[in-house]
Amino acid sequence: MIKLKNIFKWVNSGGNRVFLLKDINLNIKEGEFISIMGPSGSGKSTLLNVIGMLDEFNEGEYLFMDQPVHLLKEKQKAQFYKTHIGFVFQAYHLIDELTVYENIETPLLYQNVKSSERQAIVADILDRFNIVGKKDLFPAQLSGGQQQLVGVARALVAKPKLILADEPTGNLNTKQGEEIMQLFKQLNEEDGVTIIQATHSEKNAAYGSKIINLLDGRVEK
Amino acid sequence: MIKNYFKIAWRNLFRNKAFSAINILGLALGMACSLLIMLWVQDERNVDGFHSNGKQLYQVYERYHFDGKVVAGYATQGLLAEELKKVIPEIQYTSSMDYASQPGTKSTFEAGDKVNKMFGKFAGADFFSMFSYNLLQGNPTTALNTPGCIAISRKMAESFFGSPEKAIGNTIRYENKEDLQVTAVFENIPINSSQQFDFLRSWIDYVKQNEWVRHWGNASPDTYVQLLPGTDLAKVKTEIKDFIYRYKAKEKGSVTELDLLPYSDKYLHSTFKDGYIDGGRIEYVRLFSIVAIFILLIACINFMNLSTARSARRSKEVGIRKVLGGIRSSLIAQFMGEAILLTFISGIIAVALAGILLPVFNSLTGKLLFLPVGQPLFWTSLVGLLTITGLIAGSYPALFMSSLKAITVLKGSLKFSWNATIFRKGLVVFQFSLSIILIVSMLVIYRQVDYIQSKNLGYDRENLIYLPIEGNLVQNFKRFKDETTRETSILSVSKMRNSPTILEHHTSSIDWPGKDPNVSVSFADGVVGYDFVKTMKLNIVEGQDYSTDFGTDSTGYLLNETAVRKIGLQNPIGQTISWGNRPGKIIGVLKDFHFNSIHQTIDPLIIRLDERWKWGTVLVRTKAGKTKEAIAGLQKICKSLNPDFPFTYQFSDEEYTKLYNNEQVVSKLANYFAFLAIFISCLGLFGLATFTAEQRTKEIGVRKVLGASVANIVSQLSFSFLKPVAIALLIAFPVAWYAMNRWLQGFAYKIDIAWWMFAIAGLLTIGIALLTVSYQSIKAALMNPVKSIRTE
Repeated sequence: MIKLKNIFKWVNSGGNRVFLLKDINLNIKEGEFISIMGPSGSGKSTLLNVIGMLDEFNEGEYLFMDQPVHLLKEKQKAQFYKTHIGFVFQAYHLIDELTVYENIETPLLYQNVKSSERQAIVADILDRFNIVGKKDLFPAQLSGGQQQLVGVARALVAKPKLILADEPTGNLNTKQGEEIMQLFKQLNEEDGVTIIQATHSEKNAAYGSKIINLLDGRVEK
Repeated sequence: MIKNYFKIAWRNLFRNKAFSAINILGLALGMACSLLIMLWVQDERNVDGFHSNGKQLYQVYERYHFDGKVVAGYATQGLLAEELKKVIPEIQYTSSMDYASQPGTKSTFEAGDKVNKMFGKFAGADFFSMFSYNLLQGNPTTALNTPGCIAISRKMAESFFGSPEKAIGNTIRYENKEDLQVTAVFENIPINSSQQFDFLRSWIDYVKQNEWVRHWGNASPDTYVQLLPGTDLAKVKTEIKDFIYRYKAKEKGSVTELDLLPYSDKYLHSTFKDGYIDGGRIEYVRLFSIVAIFILLIACINFMNLSTARSARRSKEVGIRKVLGGIRSSLIAQFMGEAILLTFISGIIAVALAGILLPVFNSLTGKLLFLPVGQPLFWTSLVGLLTITGLIAGSYPALFMSSLKAITVLKGSLKFSWNATIFRKGLVVFQFSLSIILIVSMLVIYRQVDYIQSKNLGYDRENLIYLPIEGNLVQNFKRFKDETTRETSILSVSKMRNSPTILEHHTSSIDWPGKDPNVSVSFADGVVGYDFVKTMKLNIVEGQDYSTDFGTDSTGYLLNETAVRKIGLQNPIGQTISWGNRPGKIIGVLKDFHFNSIHQTIDPLIIRLDERWKWGTVLVRTKAGKTKEAIAGLQKICKSLNPDFPFTYQFSDEEYTKLYNNEQVVSKLANYFAFLAIFISCLGLFGLATFTAEQRTKEIGVRKVLGASVANIVSQLSFSFLKPVAIALLIAFPVAWYAMNRWLQGFAYKIDIAWWMFAIAGLLTIGIALLTVSYQSIKAALMNPVKSIRTE
C-alpha cells in the first residue's frame, strides 16, 4: 500500500544542509501494524507526517496505493488523505470549542456526508467506544485517556485504510495507555486497519507486527 | 456545515468575552458614528430638493469688476425680475424677494386682541407658481398679485385666527401702519427648506413704499427666475450677462455682469471667490463624509487587528481542521463567516446606538434627523454596508489563518512571518495617523473658534443691547433717548441703520480730490445717530464724533482708518469729500472695527449722520452688572412710548455668536470625533499589544529566568510600540497642517497654527498609547516563567 523510495528531506540552516530524513526506503502492505522507534530527534514524527501527506519531502518517490503522491496538488492530496488516512496525535488535538459528538463528526463534514448518515455513523462509533454518555461534554471536561479515546474515534469515523499514530500514549498513564494499545490491536486484527505508530516505548512497540528503527533520519538495520 | 460554523463562531464569541466585547463595541461605535454622519449628509443634500420645478429654478447673482478686484453677490436691482420676464423669452416666471424687516428682526402684527412678531419677506406674484410651498387656502397664481395682500403660514394663521380656514379673507394689521388682507395660507415651511418665513407680502407694495427700488443704481433684493423646460442655459446666460446696461449707464472703472446659479445648488454652493461660486456648505458636507469614512476605516482596521490577534489562539484549531481534511477555501469561508456574524451583531448595536444618540446629535446640528426604518432602501444599504465591512474586516484574518501549514501549527513552532507583522503594524500606524490628524484639527478648530469668540472687534460687545427701531420709536426717538439716559443703569443710547454685525450697504459714489475717475471704489456705508461712537465704545483716532454742539456736524462724515488709507489723505480732518452729490467735511477718523463677519477683511467705511432714519437698531449701552434693571427700565419706557409693539431686545454678544454657528458646530463635532477616533484606535492598539505579548510569552519567560526585572520587561515591551506611533506622528503632522491651513484660509482673521498644538497631540497620543499597552506589558511581565517556557 505504501512505497517510499529514496526519500530525502532536509532544511537549510545557515549555509548547511541538515537532513531530517536520509534515504528512506519502505514498503508497507495493507493490514500491517508497524511501529517506528528511535530516540528524540531521529525523525519519527517527520516520517509520519510525510507518510500522512502533511509534510513535503525534497527528493524521492512516494506511492500511496500506487498513486504518486509527490505529483499531487494540495487539493488532491487533501482529498486523498482525508478519505484514506486517520491521524492520532500525542496531544490529542481536539477542538476545544466542540463537544465530543461534534469533534468526532468533523471529518464527516469535510467529506460532505449527509446529516442523517452522519448521525448514524457517529452514533455507531460512540457506541463502540462506550462513550455515548459523554457525547455532549467538552474536551476540557474529560480525562486524558478519554480525550485520546475521542481522538482515536475521530480518526476512525471516516473508515480510513490507514491510521497514523504519533506517540499516542505519550500523555497517558500506564493503564490508559494499555487500553489504547489494546484498541489499536483490535482494530488491526478485526477490522483490517493498517496502523503505523511512532513510539518510544518498547512495550507499545511490541503490539505491532514489525519494528522499524530510525536514527538521525536513517533507517537502522 | 454552516450550522457547525455558526455554532463555533457563537461559542468563540462567548469564550473570549472581553475580546468580543471590545471588537463589537469598537465596530459598533464606528458604524453608529458613520451612520449619523451619513444621515446628516443626506439631509444636507436634500435641502430644497422638494421643489417640483427645481431643475428650472435659478437665482440671479451679480458679478462686479472694479478696483482691480472681482466680487459677486446676490443683491440685485429691484425691477430686475419684472424686466427679465418681459424681455427674455426663455424666462417663464420671475420673482424678487427681500426682507420685510432688517435681518435678524421680525415684524409686528395685530389681529383682534392678539399682537405677535413674525418673520417674513416681500415676494413677487409668481413666487408660489415657482416654488413648491403647499397652499392650504388660496390660489398660488393670485395670492400675491394685488396690493395690500399677504400670505401667511399655518402657524401664523393659528396664532392670530385659530385656524387657516378662519384666517383666509381676514384682515391683519402690520407694524401698526397698514391693514393687509390674508389672501393665502401656506403650510409651515418644511425644515429642509433653505428659505424660512412665516409670511409673504406682495412685491407691488414693496416697490410702492421704497423709492430707491426704481433706480438701477441700487441693488438689494434677491431675484429668482424659472426657465422654460429644455432651455439652453448657456444661451440665457449670454443674453442676460450685460442686461443691466439696458437700464443703467456704464460707469468708468466698474463692470456689472449678471449670472445664474441653479437654485437647488445654492444651499450647498453659495460662497463666492473672485466672482464665481466656489463652495460653501458643501465643504462641510465633504469634510464630514471624509471623517465618516475615516472613522469607519479605523473601526474596520481595529476589527482586523483584533480578529487576527485572537485567531492566533485558534491556529491550533486551523491545524486540526486541515489535518481532518479541511481545504483552504472552507477555512476561508469559516473565518469570513465569523467576521460577518460579528459585523452583523455590531450592526444591530450600531443602529440602536445611533437611535439613542440621535436626539443629542440633532440638538448639536440643529436638524431633525431620524432613522428611516420604514424605508427598505435603508435596510438594504445597511445590509450591503455590513456585508462589505465584514468581508473587508474578515478578509485579512481569513486569508492569513487559512494559509497556515497544519504541521507547523500543531508542532507549536508557528512563527508569524515578518510580512504579517509589518502589515499589522502598518495598520496601526494608519489608524493612529488618522487619529492624530483629528486631534490636531480639533485643537486648531477649537482655538480658531475661541479666537473668533473673543476677538476684539474694535467695540465693546458686552453690556450692549439692541432694540429694533419700530412703531413710535421712529418719531419719538428723542423722547426715548431722554427718558432712557435718565435711568442709572443705562450709560448711553444711540441708533444706526442696519445693525453692528450686519452692515450690508455699500456705495461707490464716494468722490474726493485727486480720485482717479476711471477707478471705481466701493465703500461700506453707515447711517448713525448722535452718540454712536460713545455708545459703541469705538476708538476715535483723529477728530471727534458728531456733537449737537457743532451744528455743521450734521453734514460731516466719519471715516475708518482703512477708508483714509484708501483715499490717501494725509490730514483728513477738515478735508472735503463727497458722497453722491453731497459734499461734506471729514470730522473724525475711527479706528478700524469689525462690522461684518470676520470671514472678510475690513472694508473702507464712511458714516453719515441722520438722527431721523426710520429703521435700524437702537443701541443701548448698559452699566456692567445692571443688565436686569436696564432691561426692566427699557421695557417700561417702550411700553409707554410704543404700546402697540411687543418689547424685544437682543444682546450684542449673543448676536455675534450666532454668526459663527457653523464653526461652533464644527468645533464640537471635531472634539467628539477626535475622541472617538482615539478611543477606537486604542482598542486596536490594545488588541495588537495583547497579541504581541502572547507571541512573546516564551521570550519573556526566558528573559525573566535570565534575570530581567518586571520593570525591564515592561519598558522593553512598551517602547516597542512607540515606533509605530512615532511613525504615525511623522505622517500625520504634515497632513494635518496642510488640511488646517486650507480651512483657515476661509477666515480673513485667523490664528497661527502653533507648534504646541502638534506637541500636545503628539504627547497625548503617546501617553494614551503607552497606557493602553502597559496593561498587557505588565501582565506579561508578571507571568510565571515556568508556565511560559513549557513546550507541551
